[in-house]
Amino acid sequence: MPGNEKAQKKQVPIKEGFFTMPLSPLENVRLNGSKCRKCGEVFLGKAIGCENCGSADMEELPLSKRGKLYTYTVIEHRPPGDYKGPDPFVPFGEGFVELPEGLRIVAPLTESKNLKIGMDLELVVHKLFEDANGNEVIAYKFKPV
Amino acid sequence: MKEVAIVGAGIHKFGRFPDESPIQIALEAVRMALQDANIPWKAIEMAYCARCYLPASTGARIGAALGKTGISIIDVESACASGAVAIRQGVLAIQSGACDVCVVVGVEKMPRGFMEPTTLGFEPWQVYMGLTTNPSYWAMNARRHMHEYGITEMHIAKVAYKNHRNSVHNPYAMYQKAFTMEEILNSPVVCSPTRLLEICAPNEGAAALVLCASEKAHKYTSKPITIAACVHSLPLYASDFRGPIYQLSAKVSNPNPGVVSAKKAYEQAGISPKDVSVAEVQDTDAFNELIHYEELGFCGPGESGRLIDEGATEIGGRIPVNASGGLISKGEPIGASHVGQMVDLVWQLRGQNGPRQVANARVGLGLVTGAMGHSAITIIKR
Repeated sequence: MPGNEKAQKKQVPIKEGFFTMPLSPLENVRLNGSKCRKCGEVFLGKAIGCENCGSADMEELPLSKRGKLYTYTVIEHRPPGDYKGPDPFVPFGEGFVELPEGLRIVAPLTESKNLKIGMDLELVVHKLFEDANGNEVIAYKFKPV
Repeated sequence: MKEVAIVGAGIHKFGRFPDESPIQIALEAVRMALQDANIPWKAIEMAYCARCYLPASTGARIGAALGKTGISIIDVESACASGAVAIRQGVLAIQSGACDVCVVVGVEKMPRGFMEPTTLGFEPWQVYMGLTTNPSYWAMNARRHMHEYGITEMHIAKVAYKNHRNSVHNPYAMYQKAFTMEEILNSPVVCSPTRLLEICAPNEGAAALVLCASEKAHKYTSKPITIAACVHSLPLYASDFRGPIYQLSAKVSNPNPGVVSAKKAYEQAGISPKDVSVAEVQDTDAFNELIHYEELGFCGPGESGRLIDEGATEIGGRIPVNASGGLISKGEPIGASHVGQMVDLVWQLRGQNGPRQVANARVGLGLVTGAMGHSAITIIKR
């Protein structure tokens, strides 16, 4: 009976180009990057031009799911703007995660306690919120291994 | 190269002024600077207005209230370095021969609390994910530096202690209150390791300078202050991780923008770090002041903790820093902050700063750093 069928929700990336596709199942999704064919520097998402050498010759490079914590802080107060995290606000860690591809990316961390520079982290791809069209908006964070 | 002097300086107190428009705030600073230089507005040939949060053509509105003399007035924006870039434009205008006398004014009227992220350049996805707390980037910078060099939370708190104590003597500061080390260390954590009493507040205020070709400065003052250097740089690739950045190379290593600016500024001024009598640096968070000691060569890399421990940067120390109380006590009206630093340094070099006067100050250095790694330094001498 069609009335009993649960409508399949569509997943959309929080930022176009940040993830490998498809976005389902979530556990198979990785962060996606760009590698400069000229100098080898790597960027999160789809880079328009290489900030190191200026080349526009980029290739797609899926990024590792494991990284190390380069530095961190704890966000103790609700961030300014239209933050889509839990309401009421729950403090969370924020860090630069160093990936083996030679790139450090800013990410929310699943923990706010016992964070340590150099600790091993693993990518978590998750639904952050539903947008106005009922799509599931997919975001990322990292959790200690 | 034609030499440029500061012949007038003015300021509107930094703080919160619900009953004053940004134009009124700016006018007070400009009028004070004009009066200081004993020059009428109608003799001003050009003007630059530094602002980030105010509407387009703010400079034109300020000029209109002083009398529409038809001169070129240009708004300038480069994040927290806006004021320095406005001064630099004024210097370049005089050096090019486009004018002999110009006004530089910085003004801002910013709401309370964390800065609005989209104005800072954060994208919607960063907003949704909660990566928009500006001080969190300073905090991550601090955490990494502490890890590498052994700077402690006590060193950071000592910077805040010094600057709050200096602020007591600055009637233009938003907060004029000394705090004990205990009060600072027990103040709420904003973003670890940064605490509330170690961080500056975005606020309101204005500052203004009258610049003049040095060869004509004697017409306006018997104590011209020479602009020995005014430089601005953006960071080299992978050298800065200030917000709204979201990625950074782990492979390429370049010097910090502050290091690059310092080298350029010292070369332009023909001086070395030991020649600086007094400095005003960007203490948007107390840790940042420590980094600036190292970038400016007041100490070696990783030695800033020792420098604050020794008391070298106190009024009366070897190299006093933020004798005005710094942005921690003044607050940071972005467009006005660097111009405000330079106003206080002009007064230092003229010897008119009362209880916060640094004895026999001859060379003053102001430094700002901002979003996107904007970095600027102005050096003045008498």
